[in-house]
Amino acid sequence: MKALEVKDLHKTYPQWRGESTKAVKGISFSVNEGEIVGFLGPNGAGKTTTIKCLCGLVEPTKGNISIFGIDAVNETRKAVSNTSAVLEGNRNIYWRLTTRENLEFFAGLQGRSGKEVGPEIERLLERFDLKEKEDTAARKLSRGMQQKLALSCALIRGTDFLLLDEPTLGLDVKTSKEMRRFVKRLTTEEGKTILLSSHDMNVVEDVCERVIIMNEGKILANDSVENLKDIFKINLYDFILEGEQELQKLKEKYDVNEIKYENGNTKLRVSLKDSESFYSLVNHLQEKDLRLKEVKNLDTQMEEIFMNVIERGR
Amino acid sequence: MKEHIILYSVVKKYFIELKRYFLNTLMTMIGIFILFMLVFFGLRSFDAGTETLQGTIIGFAMWIFAVMAYSEMSWGLLQEARDGTLEQLYLTPSSFRRISAYRVLGSFIFQFVLFLAFLSIMMVVTGQYLRLNPGVVILVGLTLLSVYGIGYMMGGLSLVFKKVQAGNQILQFMFILFLVLPTITDHPIIYFVPISWGNFLINKMMVGGLTLLDFTLIEYGILLLNSFAYLIVGLIIFRVMEKIAKKRGLLGHY
Repeated sequence: MKALEVKDLHKTYPQWRGESTKAVKGISFSVNEGEIVGFLGPNGAGKTTTIKCLCGLVEPTKGNISIFGIDAVNETRKAVSNTSAVLEGNRNIYWRLTTRENLEFFAGLQGRSGKEVGPEIERLLERFDLKEKEDTAARKLSRGMQQKLALSCALIRGTDFLLLDEPTLGLDVKTSKEMRRFVKRLTTEEGKTILLSSHDMNVVEDVCERVIIMNEGKILANDSVENLKDIFKINLYDFILEGEQELQKLKEKYDVNEIKYENGNTKLRVSLKDSESFYSLVNHLQEKDLRLKEVKNLDTQMEEIFMNVIERGR
Repeated sequence: MKEHIILYSVVKKYFIELKRYFLNTLMTMIGIFILFMLVFFGLRSFDAGTETLQGTIIGFAMWIFAVMAYSEMSWGLLQEARDGTLEQLYLTPSSFRRISAYRVLGSFIFQFVLFLAFLSIMMVVTGQYLRLNPGVVILVGLTLLSVYGIGYMMGGLSLVFKKVQAGNQILQFMFILFLVLPTITDHPIIYFVPISWGNFLINKMMVGGLTLLDFTLIEYGILLLNSFAYLIVGLIIFRVMEKIAKKRGLLGHY
């Protein structure tokens, strides 16, 4: 079953003066129940507008949105009552309330009583390592904890569909990894459906099954991470050569990404289309009497795919 | 939908936040009380009559009540938007307007207790004793509906135009004018501006010793029409502004 279905969504922001801004230009996509989909795009791509349309915070100019089969454009309240959102990282929580009070309040907003959610609150406090801070005011928590609390508050609502906008923004490496693990478990263990928007490609690559890439109000790619990797495979290699070598001339013949000097060696990062060009480069280096210490085949990174998609879309 | 749970959660949150900022609230109240004392003893030094002095006590208490009620609506909304929690209130099975109304209910309970406490302290300090008829709750409640209406109106405007703080401050002083209007004129304008007529009736009850049964249907009619007109217009304006904010993507952007 489709958890979310967006058809021909348009959003044009009218201006008091001057020309209106077309933020979303007829996009269509869907998210299946229990799926976790990444939403990528540079600033101004139309991601936030799309997410706000899904939450009912922005009125679409044209198009249909349905959340679990409910028309979210005309029956917004009914549709969004099964939706939780964590927008802009650690905001979305009441800074004067304690961790527990925040959780109780957000459960209450969904019409869930203290009795009903008591065990669930305990479980979330344990799961997000917030138990020790349950009586601490949210403003006194670290940023990572505030973000965990924001996510917990979204979860305590007990909705099936979650919109996460930059859930790892500003977190240190350890907390970011923890957060990714939590998010993954939400789909695998609890069957939640998640649409996750982030600028951090590693987060999207690590957590999402499928990626939607947007730019200038349009969807440029909508495929699984694996398929996108195949499509945009660029065979990136690192050649480590002994000594500091002058290799600038190689740029004329090969797609050299980077030449770097490290620990008395030269690192040459190059994209090679096929095995023929690979061997041609190896032969070339041998002809020049350069000692090859190591060759590493680098995995295609989400960041490169993203850049490629955006470039092609232009 | 379990609306009563939403109501309970919103009111409970209001009181938790109040408790957390108790000292802040107390200091504000002391400041207001000092201001009242200056006004009251200033008037007394000019040989103002008992009715004027008692009217001042009620007017002052009503002004504080009105400003607090109004602020709860407009500043409360601004605060939510600034903190980034406004969006969350839109993601509930209940409507945002209803959640605001629940918060207003919480604030009304607190502010009414404060109103009575204030009146009592003022009476003891000034030696001017008013008649505290239980019916005053109904009159105060009805009178304040117009203030809540203005709160919705300004709250709605702040969703779209953001910088309405200056208007908020002007309105606080306008309330003083509205409250004293019945003492300086009997022009029909007092039927149309907010809180004037209500304050006039409250004065009749607390100074003149009237009860709810002593007012005529016309007097009640004017109060009801005035209060509900402001409330309904306020709600309509809020709804229109909310729609504009959603169209322009302004909801929650501060």
